[in-house]
Amino acid sequence: MHRVELNIPSQPIFERVVRASAAEVGAAFGFSDERVEDLKLAISEAVNNAIDHGNRGEISKLVAVVFEIDGDKLEIRISDQGQGLEQFNPTRHVVDEQNLEQGQLRGFGMYLISELVDDYEVTSSQKGTVLTLRLYRRETQP
Amino acid sequence: MSDIIRREEFGEVVILHITTTSVDAVSAAAISTEYTAMRPITVLDFREVSFINSAGISALLKFVVSARKSGYKLFAMHVSPHHQKIFKMVEMSRFMPTIDERDLAEYR
Repeated sequence: MHRVELNIPSQPIFERVVRASAAEVGAAFGFSDERVEDLKLAISEAVNNAIDHGNRGEISKLVAVVFEIDGDKLEIRISDQGQGLEQFNPTRHVVDEQNLEQGQLRGFGMYLISELVDDYEVTSSQKGTVLTLRLYRRETQP
Repeated sequence: MSDIIRREEFGEVVILHITTTSVDAVSAAAISTEYTAMRPITVLDFREVSFINSAGISALLKFVVSARKSGYKLFAMHVSPHHQKIFKMVEMSRFMPTIDERDLAEYR
């Protein structure tokens, strides 16, 4: 098993550091360029959620990201130091006329994650939230 | 006009060339304010863009909202296959279809 761990302050600029690391880990795992892009986007969404909704932008609180390669499985755990979240909404969320009229221009993150990874799970408590993403190596990759 | 967008205008057309590689939470605020530069035909050029996330999509939706209010046409140009997939996933492409650079020639 190979393991890479990062801890970043809750500032959006450091999400780029995680994203760059995700690109390298994805390439090392043997992902195609397209799946590396999927991985980068899913992790970007997860880290931004941890910064905004978990740690509520408190810079002193860290977001921990652990990449683990285990055979044909790549698992990424994104943890915040917030007080837990009541709910996640991974249901399909797209741009439509009603959202535009109402100025609801956000909220695509969890839906994108659910579409881009093979599976994921969320655990949340008063000590923080952990989002675990899993992607598997396939014989034929898009 | 910020240095994150370079503007090219001819007739009723404006091409807003996005000059940052990441349309994300860091650049979103600067990009979203640029909707005031729109013209009856507005084209967002993604040639330099290698990454877009949902924070970036939210910023781009400011252009969609403004175009709908003004009756302007909004297009995207030089969108990578990956970003076309993401735009289709969230149905952004319904409100900001892609346009080919050669199709703009008739307006020049």
